[in-house]
Amino acid sequence: MAESGTLRFALNGQPVTARCPDERILLDLLREDLRLTGTKRGCDLGTCGCCTVLVDGRPTLSCLTLARLAAGRSVTTIEGVGPPQRLSAVQRAFVEHGATQCGFCTPGFVLTATALLRENRAPSREEIERAISGNLCRCTGYLAIVRAIEAAARAEA
Amino acid sequence: MHLDPFELHRPTSVDETVRLAGELAGRFDYLAGGTDLLPNYKMHINLRPHLVALEDVGELAGHSEGRLGAMCRLADLERDRDLAATWPALGEAVAEVATPLVRASGTVGGNLLVETRCFFFNQSYFWRASLGFCLKADGDRCHVVPQKETCYATFSGDLAPALLVADAEVEVAGAGGRRRMPLGELYDLAGDGIRRVRLAPGELLVAVHLPAAARGRQGRYLKLRVRPAYDFPELGVAVAGRWQPDGRVRELRLAVGGAEPHPRRFDELTAPLDGERLDDARRRELGEEVARRVRPVHNTFLLPDYRRKMIAVYVRRALADAEARAAG
Repeated sequence: MAESGTLRFALNGQPVTARCPDERILLDLLREDLRLTGTKRGCDLGTCGCCTVLVDGRPTLSCLTLARLAAGRSVTTIEGVGPPQRLSAVQRAFVEHGATQCGFCTPGFVLTATALLRENRAPSREEIERAISGNLCRCTGYLAIVRAIEAAARAEA
Repeated sequence: MHLDPFELHRPTSVDETVRLAGELAGRFDYLAGGTDLLPNYKMHINLRPHLVALEDVGELAGHSEGRLGAMCRLADLERDRDLAATWPALGEAVAEVATPLVRASGTVGGNLLVETRCFFFNQSYFWRASLGFCLKADGDRCHVVPQKETCYATFSGDLAPALLVADAEVEVAGAGGRRRMPLGELYDLAGDGIRRVRLAPGELLVAVHLPAAARGRQGRYLKLRVRPAYDFPELGVAVAGRWQPDGRVRELRLAVGGAEPHPRRFDELTAPLDGERLDDARRRELGEEVARRVRPVHNTFLLPDYRRKMIAVYVRRALADAEARAAG
């Protein structure tokens, strides 16, 4: 039988303990229980990529992940990527290239791009376009986002 | 979106999983990657009071030469360049499933057993309640082909056609022990569309086995969809074979998914072509013959007549592409 009640995992490098029923979705736990609202709820069905977080370094749709399956794992949200005064290379590149307009999709794109650059330090444009093909942006037309990720790759090289 | 309460179970071995399935008979779903099941749960489709999560069952994880664990993540298969080189149609099919984010969680077993899709079914509870429920969930009639016996929802996995042309076998475990069968026998072509696979209640898909004898066949998978970045297949055509230097083809296989409630292979059409040279006229003829045997219905985004016409086109293209690749 599943143990009910308490969930322990690492969130942005810090140990976290939360009360968590079995059916709790990771996105809901992050936004509603832990009040980390940087992770966005878009479609809530896995189509848009806005809710992307990293679980043990892998980009993961938090809207389609049971929170209890994060037990003992390491979860990174946009709040853990870089504090406002020390943005990560990806975040800086998004600012510098105007890759953000309304900003709603940005946390998901930043997490997806962060995971991509960890796995592939010098992705081609095609590899970048492929990697972000599960993240929807209704504002930018994507070009600025692709350029920002290219710039972040150069900056981290 | 909050889910209705259920109890989550996390077995760590196949034996424990099968035992649990027996205890919870009829009151549970297996949870693999969750990318198909959880959207359906969010829409209140066929909820069960228990979920049995498979991700801690070590035997189901990962892949190796000739064996794909049922819980092998699609993204991990996609990264394996050797796999794509040895099984070209499979490599292409894996890379075409949904998006990279879905593939990061989505699994081999989940894709083979993905719930069939229909636009009267994959809708919110409110939407379905407004029209009247269908026999696949909560109701007793089909809105696509009006009658009360058969569900025509479309099989929408990409891996099955590619694995069918690789002569793949599936290994399943249940209360009665383990058994292996050709992948084609997993799908119940004579079923009512609700019962879609020949698995006993609680029986668990453990792994897919790729036979050494089929290694290195040339192949191609072509997928029809509206948004190439995301959609389920409106049609998937897989071919494989060995094209010899003189252009004659051996071991030709052809399978279609995304068009009917089951994926299926067309050995009765490809076997007579063994040792033949396929020119464009032969490829066209074969494509049209396949299209005559497949009957899409109006339950996905694209019209059935168009999907059917595209079967002939994709069969022709897939065969031409595979042969061109074989010629190097």
